[in-house]
Amino acid sequence: MKAFQQNLSKLEGTDTQVLGVSMDSPFSNFAFAQQNGVSFPILGDWGGPVTRRYGLIQKFDIQGVSMESARRATFLIDKTGKIINEQVDDTAVDPSKTVGACERQKLKG
Amino acid sequence: MRIESKRLVCLGLLILMFGPAHILPAQSKSADNNEKQAPAPMKLKVGDAAPDFTLLAFDGKELKKVSLQDYRGKKNVALAFFVFAFTGG
Repeated sequence: MKAFQQNLSKLEGTDTQVLGVSMDSPFSNFAFAQQNGVSFPILGDWGGPVTRRYGLIQKFDIQGVSMESARRATFLIDKTGKIINEQVDDTAVDPSKTVGACERQKLKG
Repeated sequence: MRIESKRLVCLGLLILMFGPAHILPAQSKSADNNEKQAPAPMKLKVGDAAPDFTLLAFDGKELKKVSLQDYRGKKNVALAFFVFAFTGG
Protein backbone atom coordinates (compact mmCIF):
# COMPACT_ATOMS: atom_id res chain seq x y z
CA MET A 1 0.00 0.00 0.00
CA LYS A 2 2.92 2.31 0.71
CA ALA A 3 4.23 1.62 -2.78
CA PHE A 4 0.91 2.74 -4.23
CA GLN A 5 1.01 5.88 -2.12
CA GLN A 6 4.47 6.69 -3.49
CA ASN A 7 3.10 6.36 -7.03
CA LEU A 8 -0.18 8.10 -6.29
CA SER A 9 0.64 11.34 -8.14
CA LYS A 10 1.67 9.37 -11.22
CA LEU A 11 -1.56 7.39 -11.11
CA GLU A 12 -3.72 10.42 -10.46
CA GLY A 13 -1.90 12.21 -13.28
CA THR A 14 -3.32 9.61 -15.65
CA ASP A 15 -6.88 10.21 -14.47
CA THR A 16 -6.86 7.12 -12.26
CA GLN A 17 -8.47 6.73 -8.86
CA VAL A 18 -6.67 4.31 -6.55
CA LEU A 19 -8.93 2.22 -4.31
CA GLY A 20 -7.52 -0.30 -1.85
CA VAL A 21 -9.65 -3.25 -0.77
CA SER A 22 -9.10 -5.61 2.13
CA MET A 23 -11.25 -8.02 4.10
CA ASP A 24 -10.93 -5.91 7.24
CA SER A 25 -13.43 -3.52 8.75
CA PRO A 26 -13.38 0.05 7.34
CA PHE A 27 -12.11 1.21 10.75
CA SER A 28 -9.09 -1.12 10.75
CA ASN A 29 -8.35 0.04 7.23
CA PHE A 30 -8.51 3.68 8.27
CA ALA A 31 -6.08 3.06 11.15
CA PHE A 32 -3.78 1.17 8.79
CA ALA A 33 -3.97 4.00 6.23
CA GLN A 34 -3.15 6.62 8.87
CA GLN A 35 -0.22 4.65 10.22
CA ASN A 36 1.24 4.27 6.75
CA GLY A 37 0.45 7.71 5.36
CA VAL A 38 -1.99 6.30 2.81
CA SER A 39 -4.33 9.00 1.49
CA PHE A 40 -6.49 7.01 -0.93
CA PRO A 41 -9.59 5.20 0.37
CA ILE A 42 -9.20 1.62 1.58
CA LEU A 43 -12.54 -0.12 1.35
CA GLY A 44 -13.62 -2.68 3.91
CA ASP A 45 -14.72 -5.93 2.27
CA TRP A 46 -15.74 -7.53 5.53
CA GLY A 47 -16.45 -11.22 5.01
CA GLY A 48 -15.05 -10.94 1.50
CA PRO A 49 -18.10 -10.80 -0.82
CA VAL A 50 -16.31 -8.57 -3.34
CA THR A 51 -13.00 -10.41 -3.01
CA ARG A 52 -14.93 -13.61 -3.78
CA ARG A 53 -16.68 -12.04 -6.80
CA TYR A 54 -13.27 -11.07 -8.16
CA GLY A 55 -12.04 -14.67 -7.69
CA LEU A 56 -9.38 -13.75 -5.16
CA ILE A 57 -10.24 -15.80 -2.06
CA GLN A 58 -7.36 -18.03 -0.99
CA LYS A 59 -7.53 -20.58 1.79
CA PHE A 60 -4.59 -21.43 3.96
CA ASP A 61 -3.74 -23.17 7.20
CA ILE A 62 -1.74 -21.76 10.07
CA GLN A 63 -1.02 -24.40 12.71
CA GLY A 64 -4.06 -26.34 11.58
CA VAL A 65 -6.38 -23.34 11.76
CA SER A 66 -7.89 -22.71 8.35
CA MET A 67 -8.34 -19.12 7.21
CA GLU A 68 -9.42 -17.22 4.15
CA SER A 69 -7.81 -14.07 2.83
CA ALA A 70 -7.58 -12.12 -0.38
CA ARG A 71 -4.89 -12.82 -2.93
CA ARG A 72 -2.74 -9.80 -3.61
CA ALA A 73 -4.01 -8.42 -6.92
CA THR A 74 -4.42 -5.11 -8.73
CA PHE A 75 -6.98 -4.58 -11.46
CA LEU A 76 -6.85 -1.53 -13.70
CA ILE A 77 -10.37 -0.73 -14.82
CA ASP A 78 -11.03 1.79 -17.59
CA LYS A 79 -13.82 4.36 -17.74
CA THR A 80 -16.17 1.92 -19.44
CA GLY A 81 -15.79 -0.56 -16.56
CA LYS A 82 -13.55 -2.97 -18.48
CA ILE A 83 -10.44 -4.61 -16.97
CA ILE A 84 -7.46 -3.40 -19.01
CA ASN A 85 -4.62 -4.71 -16.86
CA GLU A 86 -4.26 -7.13 -13.99
CA GLN A 87 -1.35 -7.98 -11.74
CA VAL A 88 -1.49 -10.80 -9.25
CA ASP A 89 0.55 -12.06 -6.29
CA ASP A 90 4.14 -10.79 -6.27
CA THR A 91 3.78 -8.57 -9.33
CA ALA A 92 0.84 -6.79 -7.70
CA VAL A 93 3.00 -5.52 -4.82
CA ASP A 94 5.03 -3.26 -7.09
CA PRO A 95 2.65 -0.82 -8.79
CA SER A 96 5.05 0.04 -11.65
CA LYS A 97 3.25 -2.23 -14.15
CA THR A 98 -0.09 -0.70 -13.21
CA VAL A 99 1.43 2.79 -13.57
CA GLY A 100 2.82 1.82 -16.99
CA ALA A 101 -0.57 0.55 -18.11
CA CYS A 102 -2.19 3.79 -16.91
CA GLU A 103 0.27 5.86 -18.90
CA ARG A 104 -0.35 3.79 -22.04
CA GLN A 105 -4.08 4.24 -21.49
CA LYS A 106 -3.60 8.01 -21.24
CA LEU A 107 -1.74 8.08 -24.56
CA LYS A 108 -4.59 6.14 -26.15
CA GLY A 109 -7.44 8.07 -24.59
CA MET B 1 -8.19 -75.64 0.51
CA ARG B 2 -10.93 -74.40 -1.80
CA ILE B 3 -12.25 -71.98 0.77
CA GLU B 4 -8.77 -70.72 1.47
CA SER B 5 -8.07 -70.06 -2.20
CA LYS B 6 -11.38 -68.23 -2.47
CA ARG B 7 -10.29 -66.16 0.47
CA LEU B 8 -7.05 -65.40 -1.27
CA VAL B 9 -8.90 -64.28 -4.39
CA CYS B 10 -11.14 -62.10 -2.25
CA LEU B 11 -8.13 -60.61 -0.53
CA GLY B 12 -6.51 -59.98 -3.89
CA LEU B 13 -9.66 -58.25 -5.12
CA LEU B 14 -9.82 -56.16 -1.98
CA ILE B 15 -6.25 -55.02 -2.49
CA LEU B 16 -7.04 -54.21 -6.12
CA MET B 17 -10.13 -52.27 -5.11
CA PHE B 18 -8.76 -50.39 -2.15
CA GLY B 19 -5.05 -50.34 -2.89
CA PRO B 20 -5.27 -47.64 -5.55
CA ALA B 21 -7.57 -45.63 -3.30
CA HIS B 22 -4.74 -45.41 -0.79
CA ILE B 23 -2.27 -44.41 -3.46
CA LEU B 24 -4.51 -41.80 -5.10
CA PRO B 25 -4.88 -39.44 -2.13
CA ALA B 26 -1.10 -39.40 -1.83
CA GLN B 27 -0.87 -38.38 -5.47
CA SER B 28 -3.51 -35.71 -5.20
CA LYS B 29 -1.76 -34.36 -2.13
CA SER B 30 1.44 -33.86 -4.09
CA ALA B 31 -0.65 -32.25 -6.86
CA ASP B 32 -1.96 -29.79 -4.25
CA ASN B 33 1.58 -28.92 -3.28
CA ASN B 34 2.40 -28.25 -6.91
CA GLU B 35 -0.64 -26.03 -7.20
CA LYS B 36 0.60 -23.88 -4.37
CA GLN B 37 3.84 -23.27 -6.23
CA ALA B 38 2.17 -22.42 -9.54
CA PRO B 39 -0.18 -19.44 -9.32
CA ALA B 40 -3.84 -20.37 -9.70
CA PRO B 41 -5.48 -19.03 -12.87
CA MET B 42 -7.42 -15.80 -12.49
CA LYS B 43 -11.20 -15.84 -12.64
CA LEU B 44 -11.36 -12.39 -14.25
CA LYS B 45 -9.23 -11.65 -17.28
CA VAL B 46 -8.15 -8.56 -19.19
CA GLY B 47 -11.08 -7.52 -21.38
CA ASP B 48 -13.71 -8.73 -18.90
CA ALA B 49 -16.20 -6.33 -17.35
CA ALA B 50 -15.20 -5.57 -13.75
CA PRO B 51 -18.04 -6.62 -11.42
CA ASP B 52 -19.77 -3.63 -9.83
CA PHE B 53 -19.71 -3.30 -6.06
CA THR B 54 -20.45 -0.88 -3.24
CA LEU B 55 -18.32 -0.98 -0.09
CA LEU B 56 -17.77 1.27 2.90
CA ALA B 57 -14.69 3.33 3.63
CA PHE B 58 -14.05 5.30 6.82
CA ASP B 59 -12.49 8.75 6.36
CA GLY B 60 -11.91 9.47 10.06
CA LYS B 61 -15.30 11.11 10.51
CA GLU B 62 -17.91 9.01 8.82
CA LEU B 63 -18.49 5.87 6.83
CA LYS B 64 -18.87 6.56 3.14
CA LYS B 65 -20.21 4.37 0.39
CA VAL B 66 -17.81 3.89 -2.49
CA SER B 67 -19.03 2.19 -5.65
CA LEU B 68 -17.04 1.16 -8.69
CA GLN B 69 -19.86 2.39 -10.90
CA ASP B 70 -19.41 5.94 -9.49
CA TYR B 71 -16.29 6.26 -11.62
CA ARG B 72 -17.85 5.05 -14.87
CA GLY B 73 -17.21 7.59 -17.63
CA LYS B 74 -15.13 9.71 -15.24
CA LYS B 75 -11.96 7.99 -14.11
CA ASN B 76 -9.97 4.80 -14.50
CA VAL B 77 -9.78 2.82 -11.27
CA ALA B 78 -6.75 0.97 -9.93
CA LEU B 79 -8.38 -1.56 -7.61
CA ALA B 80 -5.72 -2.92 -5.29
CA PHE B 81 -6.70 -5.96 -3.22
CA PHE B 82 -4.32 -6.66 -0.38
CA VAL B 83 -4.18 -9.45 2.15
CA PHE B 84 -4.97 -7.72 5.45
CA ALA B 85 -4.45 -4.34 7.07
CA PHE B 86 -1.17 -4.13 9.01
CA THR B 87 0.54 -6.68 6.78
CA GLY B 88 3.40 -6.00 4.38
CA GLY B 89 3.01 -5.41 0.64
